[in-house]
Amino acid sequence: MRGIRTAACAALTLLLAGCANVEDPSGANDPYESFNRKVFDFNRHVDKAVIKPVAEVYRDGVPEPAREGLHNFFVNIDLPITFANDVLQGEAERGSETFLRFSINSTLGVGGLFDVATRNFHMPFHTEDFGQTLAVWGVQEGPYLVLPIVGPDPPRDAGGQVVDIAFDPLTYINFHGAFWFSAGKAVLEGIDLRSRNLESLDSIERQSIDLYASIRSLYRQNRNNEIRNGKPDVSNLPNL
Amino acid sequence: MLNLLRLTRSGLFGICALVCLTAGGIASRADASPAAEAFIQTNIQRGLQLLNNTGVSRQQRAEQFRNFLLGLTDLRRIALYTLGPARRTAAQAQQDAFVEAFRDYAFAVYGAEFAKYSGQTLRVTGSVERAPGDELVRTQLIDPDSKGQEPIEVDFRVYGTNGHYSIVDIVVAGLDLAITEQEDFSAFLAQHNNDIRALTANLRQRAERVRSTGRI
Repeated sequence: MRGIRTAACAALTLLLAGCANVEDPSGANDPYESFNRKVFDFNRHVDKAVIKPVAEVYRDGVPEPAREGLHNFFVNIDLPITFANDVLQGEAERGSETFLRFSINSTLGVGGLFDVATRNFHMPFHTEDFGQTLAVWGVQEGPYLVLPIVGPDPPRDAGGQVVDIAFDPLTYINFHGAFWFSAGKAVLEGIDLRSRNLESLDSIERQSIDLYASIRSLYRQNRNNEIRNGKPDVSNLPNL
Repeated sequence: MLNLLRLTRSGLFGICALVCLTAGGIASRADASPAAEAFIQTNIQRGLQLLNNTGVSRQQRAEQFRNFLLGLTDLRRIALYTLGPARRTAAQAQQDAFVEAFRDYAFAVYGAEFAKYSGQTLRVTGSVERAPGDELVRTQLIDPDSKGQEPIEVDFRVYGTNGHYSIVDIVVAGLDLAITEQEDFSAFLAQHNNDIRALTANLRQRAERVRSTGRI
């Protein structure tokens, strides 16, 4: 799973790096819009046929404590990636928070199953990834891109995900069944994430006229908000 | 969708519960705009009274709250912004018809959304001045069901001076309502020859559908 994803991301990033001067009639930095829309429609079909039903069964069939535990486990096991990127962005305080959170939840939280850091210590939570780090370093997002299944993933973010593999300690731990563990983790993380957003995505879908354009807008705004670590960007507010 | 799904629990339009806060919640630091903050604070309190009025049905509470909130909002300004560049080539009558359809749609949608209110509160945390008469009032949405997770940031863009203010935009967890609507509508217009009559008709149909089915 990781190897295939790595190769795909790397190939796409290289391909797009070579396509610098493409026309962009919509002005939305989406020169591959017709391709993206096709992939987007494909993703919607797959979501409707497979991912959403599975997520609903998961939500309705698995007891909440079990789902919470699994979610906490995944979040915890990915914290080293956040820590590495906190450090690369020069965020000492956020890095310390991440380190402390990982330590507390891995020990008191029994291997990450319990989010003791939030529930008992009310510690703030954040995630970082190399795509955000690149943005902090001044790299532009690149043309909008929608990937199969993954969804919106412009070159900077896709390339960032490749680098994050190197920051994930699990990459370096060889154990029997490591491949299947990674594959299973990716699938379960996807189902968990989908199940936690069933209502919000339904709401966006119902209220959008052009769902593709709405998602493009929301993806970018959300990403920029993450890059700013939640601080409002007052100078870039729209002129109403 | 996987990257996008790290969104808020409630989604952009799921800010059903605009309720107010306990006394003493305003930050004690030097405020950028105490008057704009007070405007939001006071009106959130009024909103709370409407949302918690058990003397009327849930649907009526939602409608009263919606009328109240939209009464504070400069819907015309927002509607015209969402038209984007197409506004420049549209006749005044078309723009007016669009604004009416937009208002109609907002009333239909928010009446349905606010009916889902379940005890959330809003706490004013401060404000930032963008320009004189243009403030961003910062609040946090506190959800009793959130299990200790951090509250969602809800920012109100407020225009006005001298005691007369209106809300011109809302930003939920960094997601700007006016920008999102504008980009959605711009994509639709691009596929309909920039004819805002098509957009107006679409919004009217949607409003009608919400009203007749009770669902968005």
